[in-house]
Amino acid sequence: MSVRLKDSKSVFQIRWIPKYTTLERFLHWMHTASFIPLALTGIVLFSPWLQSVAQSEGGSTVRLVHRVAAIFFGGVPILYAVLQPRRLVLHVREFLKFSKYDLLWLKAAVPYYLLGRHSAMPPQPRFNTGERLNAVVMVVGTITFGITGLAMWFGRGDMPQTLYQIMVIFHDLAFIVTVSMFMIHFYLAVIHPLMWQSLVSMRYGVVSESYAREHHAMWYFGDKRAKEMWEKHKAEEEEHQPAEQEG
Amino acid sequence: MTDRYAMYIDTSKCMACRGCQVACKQWNDLQGYVPGVRETVNTGTYENPLKLDPQTWTRIKFREYDDGERFQWLFLKEGCMHCAEAVCVDVCPTKALKHGPHGIVTYERELCNGCGYCGQFCPFQVPQLEVLNRLTGEAKSSKCVFCQDRTTNGLKPACVKTCPASALDWGDRDAMLDKAKARAELLKTEWGFPKANVYGEAQLGGLGRIYVLTAPPSAYDLPETPSYPATATLWQKILQPVGHLAFGAAIVASITAFFLARRNVHMEEVE
Repeated sequence: MSVRLKDSKSVFQIRWIPKYTTLERFLHWMHTASFIPLALTGIVLFSPWLQSVAQSEGGSTVRLVHRVAAIFFGGVPILYAVLQPRRLVLHVREFLKFSKYDLLWLKAAVPYYLLGRHSAMPPQPRFNTGERLNAVVMVVGTITFGITGLAMWFGRGDMPQTLYQIMVIFHDLAFIVTVSMFMIHFYLAVIHPLMWQSLVSMRYGVVSESYAREHHAMWYFGDKRAKEMWEKHKAEEEEHQPAEQEG
Repeated sequence: MTDRYAMYIDTSKCMACRGCQVACKQWNDLQGYVPGVRETVNTGTYENPLKLDPQTWTRIKFREYDDGERFQWLFLKEGCMHCAEAVCVDVCPTKALKHGPHGIVTYERELCNGCGYCGQFCPFQVPQLEVLNRLTGEAKSSKCVFCQDRTTNGLKPACVKTCPASALDWGDRDAMLDKAKARAELLKTEWGFPKANVYGEAQLGGLGRIYVLTAPPSAYDLPETPSYPATATLWQKILQPVGHLAFGAAIVASITAFFLARRNVHMEEVE
């Protein structure tokens, strides 16, 4: 895509790199559209402050919304597994691949995201550490929600009391962890200025070349080259630092 | 002591006529025999129905007990124990279940949304869920409320009123406890029931039913030491506050991050 600014001779060339398939984007929004109503109806039984909403017919309606949304929520991984099983396996494998660069990312997260120090960001693959953490939490959470939710829906009265109680506990645990994670995910993906392209990529499936270079160097340059560039960059920084101190 | 009341239940006097079951249904407008809907099924025992259900708030449980010295046919009037530390009250998200006057655990059907937590956490598995639709989860819970419309107006519960054997009584809890202890002592010394005992004095902060038993509680399938479920404590006392804290922290962190990032991140530097 090329852009020419008004009254200017220079032309911006933006190369867009595909990141997500159409199905992936559709499923992501289906996930969002079911997760938010699920969380909002779920908190009604969880928080004593919302007691008045939980009472009588209102409470029954809340449960109905929760159950309908749950069907769509559960449908997301099933549709993905049926329609693009290879992409699913690929993604799960990518999610579970953690390296020393993830520790560096965790160290760099505050200076980068809060203080805007671009040089602090170590190279990252197609999904950075935060994205992968979010994904792992969501996958584990979805499995937990699936098992405990179905058990509470269809198994009440047919399973030992203690087992049912454990289901309630794990449903709540998954709720706390995934909702907290969702809030951070929402902030970074929708509000944070540096991440503006994440929303673009979930809408159009592409990210710009410059964004891919800064945020996902291992994906853009390849593992080896990205690491070499990082080492070189680190060495340069170290060289400069003592000089600055002396000066 | 307090204004706490209790039901005295002397199993040694009970003859299992089940008049209490009938009186309960009559006063509380519960279904008995309804052709095509609730039919009596012969299962080879006098016990009927076989467990508490949404339309049966009290029933006589039949158990056989043989300790090697003598055989006993035991009759136990089952129903809500009205615990002082009632877990159902704590887990109920609608407050349809509450601690009411005279230590009664009251139930407001209109407030209930049918979540079923009460029955799933009750150590005696008393609250019964009437499931109208399993798919949508439409349901209502139900249980004995010690005929609160009668007892708050100076009357005795319907079952106590009807009991022809005087096995049941209703009154100040301390008085009922004294009566039960005296009766158990008498059963031990005079009537040849060496294992006679009182059940309900201290369990779960003291039950609203004081039983005089002629055999160990286990013979009646009563839990010897019923306990407040640890899962309920974990859920109510730990997970709920932790959850609120986590959500609060995530929101505060995001807002703080928003302002920090706005100050420090310069988009002009971004290619």
